[in-house]
Amino acid sequence: MRRVETDILVVGGGPAGLSAAIAAAGAGARVDLVDAGAAPGGQYWMQDPVAGATSQQAAEGSTAIASARAAGVAIHSGAEVWAAFPGGEIMANDAEGPITFQARSIVVASGAQDRVYPFPGWTLPGVMTPGAGQRLAKLGKTAPGRRIALAGNGPFLYAVAATLASIDATPALLVESGRARAAMLGLLARHPARIAEAVSLIAAARAVPDWRRGHVVTEALGEERVEAVRIAPIDERGTVDTARSERIDGIDALLVGWGFRPMIELTALLRCRHAYDRALGGWYCVASPSTGLTSVEGVYAAGEVTGIAGSRPARLSGTLAGLSAAAALGFESAGMEERRKGLVRALASARAFGHALGRLAPPPDGIADLARDDTIVCRCEEVTRGEIVAALAEGTRAVAGAKMWTRAGMGRCQGRICGSAVAEIAAAETGTSPAAAGFNPPRIPLRPVPLDVILEATRGSAP
Amino acid sequence: MTEVTIFVDGVAVVAEAGRPLGALMHRLGPAMRRTREGAPRGLFCGMGVCFDCLVTVDGVADRRACMTPIRDGMRIETSLASGNPS
Repeated sequence: MRRVETDILVVGGGPAGLSAAIAAAGAGARVDLVDAGAAPGGQYWMQDPVAGATSQQAAEGSTAIASARAAGVAIHSGAEVWAAFPGGEIMANDAEGPITFQARSIVVASGAQDRVYPFPGWTLPGVMTPGAGQRLAKLGKTAPGRRIALAGNGPFLYAVAATLASIDATPALLVESGRARAAMLGLLARHPARIAEAVSLIAAARAVPDWRRGHVVTEALGEERVEAVRIAPIDERGTVDTARSERIDGIDALLVGWGFRPMIELTALLRCRHAYDRALGGWYCVASPSTGLTSVEGVYAAGEVTGIAGSRPARLSGTLAGLSAAAALGFESAGMEERRKGLVRALASARAFGHALGRLAPPPDGIADLARDDTIVCRCEEVTRGEIVAALAEGTRAVAGAKMWTRAGMGRCQGRICGSAVAEIAAAETGTSPAAAGFNPPRIPLRPVPLDVILEATRGSAP
Repeated sequence: MTEVTIFVDGVAVVAEAGRPLGALMHRLGPAMRRTREGAPRGLFCGMGVCFDCLVTVDGVADRRACMTPIRDGMRIETSLASGNPS
């Protein structure tokens, strides 16, 4: 079995992970980076697997990947982490089988995934996350459909509209719950450096022929695939007004997402402290703003796992965590303290913008209530809202209790998809808060792996 | 760009090597499997998190199409064709 001893193991090859790896290797540490993607870059710096960098954003990523390699970072692509143990032992699995890393320090830069909430019809083929539509277009050069509806909230929707336009697949319909125009202008006035980016994103949204603000998709309709959507306005009190709903036919792809959720499975498995803020994506790993250190010695966190804030804070927090992790192991260089001070200041400002944006575009309250009693909430185990509500009525108030009663969150995804919704349903049904309802603690294996991989990794030889 | 031939439920399909199998399956679909309860499912998260795009690749069951790069000669079987839920 492959065993790699290293100073610093970086988990995640997006902007935060690559920045951390470059900084730590530049300081003199031996650095390994493990990433689940076929190529590094993560979601933001996604690399076209055939054509190479095809946009300025992807080109920035390929520069970062080249810098990491030039700095001596060993990049392990296509390798998913499935176990972690105190003391720095991390187990991953790639096409060749298990790799065990023994690291003196770990930087977790696991990123984020689309945040989703259930609604009738959301399991139909053709209904997917905006991120899935983005990856279909960028990695697969494939349009999600011929008449695409893009829905939810947050600036990422506009970025997806721009990507789809780049492959001649401009959405037919954009359904956005927010209407906070004045607040957005106020935020941009305080961060003028971001105006050009905002203008180009708004142009992408304007190119969509039917743009509904203050609306949500309440239902996807179809038998074997999505064929139509129902949308409804949000009234002055923030309630979805289903009495004024409208059916839009001829939709063959529906991309719905409510911003992002930090991927906290690894930091939770490592027992780092976490906190809850719905505007930051829900549960996130708490990391020191001046070093990136988590509550666990030798474990650092950077980027979206520390709360959704965007790619700039991801890069800055990655560099900061990489430098700090290296310095803590004795890899100090001249001028490092000054550099860290500058990073801390820039990070605070970049995060303030990202967090303010998150507060301007939250999922509407009660969004999990779009699911009806017979709507599947847990996609893996096919558990309905009615079954979860019945379990809550029988006495549990927690996400973990709902899981034991109904199996919601016990499937292959371990509740990564339904967890936010189960917590909000539990909060609404039992008069508690989503934070008090908790989350599904991650279990080893974090991702399903073949038994022979587990045997080889734990016994040290193939069976 | 390298064009290769892969087989989806026995049917030859020309595809571009290196691109995600999930994108090709979505074009052919969008349904790519059936659940225990018989419901059709397709690509949902597209990034290896949700496990909705499971197919059998070269005899190995429950591979995520979204995380599988296309290779020449690959043989894909879906639960839509086999009737065995995945």
